[in-house]
Amino acid sequence: MVKKIKSKDTVALHSFMQDRRTLFCYSGPLTEDLLTTISSPVRHQLSDKETEEVVAKRVFGVFIEQAQNIIRYSHRKTKATGDSIGTIAISIADNGFLIEAVNVVDPEKKDVLEATLVELSMKDQQELRELYKKRLREGPPEDSAGAGLGFIEMARRVKKFEFDFVESEDGALFVYRGWVS
Amino acid sequence: MIYEASQRTPLVELTPTSCLIRGECYPENISEWSEPVLKTLEECLSNDNSEFKVDIELYYFNSSSAKFLFDFFEFLEESAEGGKAITINWRYRAEDDTMQEAGEDFEEDVSACSYNMVQVESLAE
Repeated sequence: MVKKIKSKDTVALHSFMQDRRTLFCYSGPLTEDLLTTISSPVRHQLSDKETEEVVAKRVFGVFIEQAQNIIRYSHRKTKATGDSIGTIAISIADNGFLIEAVNVVDPEKKDVLEATLVELSMKDQQELRELYKKRLREGPPEDSAGAGLGFIEMARRVKKFEFDFVESEDGALFVYRGWVS
Repeated sequence: MIYEASQRTPLVELTPTSCLIRGECYPENISEWSEPVLKTLEECLSNDNSEFKVDIELYYFNSSSAKFLFDFFEFLEESAEGGKAITINWRYRAEDDTMQEAGEDFEEDVSACSYNMVQVESLAE
């Protein structure tokens, strides 16, 4: 049942977003058109004078890869148009930025995705760079499940990343969190 | 032939003797954008001019676009192997280690073309 949203809930939403220092958050159907539209305000949020341009670019790079992952691989779609549903956010955290993404994962692709991310999390920058080159030359693996270049690209841009699979009413949620500074 | 830059695609200027790519590249659909560009490039390379100059100055490209760049360089390599003298200048800003690394990585796969890493001072907008 959908809970009735009261005024205090609206205030709570505001306070919640402010307290966690979220600069940008979108949750709902995500399309390439929408990504084009939100790219500018996201850039604007990141172009703070105190933020180094190279850091802002890394944050933007991770944001784009995560958004496109949701668009391509979210297992939950809108009924009418089949658009992918997910959540993406950029927040200030640990003297840098935290980029978060959540979407329902295809249960058949969960294991491949998990194995790939475990593998990536154990690689250093040089190994990631080599793997990126290798993947570029050889093309994506048979069943990429979003485990192609995008996740390697993100792993190269973040200081660290964490991922998780959380059960929900809609199925297993894939949670990706990357820190950039 | 000029392909104007858009919010998510770079400027591409192609002539019978040169190619310039400048801007950012993270289009909605990379194949849709790159197919006509590569086709025009093919036409530009299929003439009797002995030299061809390529300048690439990108500030950001996503992982899908990396594949386009890889194919683009492969195409130039084939043409260079066929006898055309091709010079590629990968232009990057001094502080942009991401684009510097990308340029170095593409350089590894290039041998028939002459490839230069060119540091530029500031964003040319």
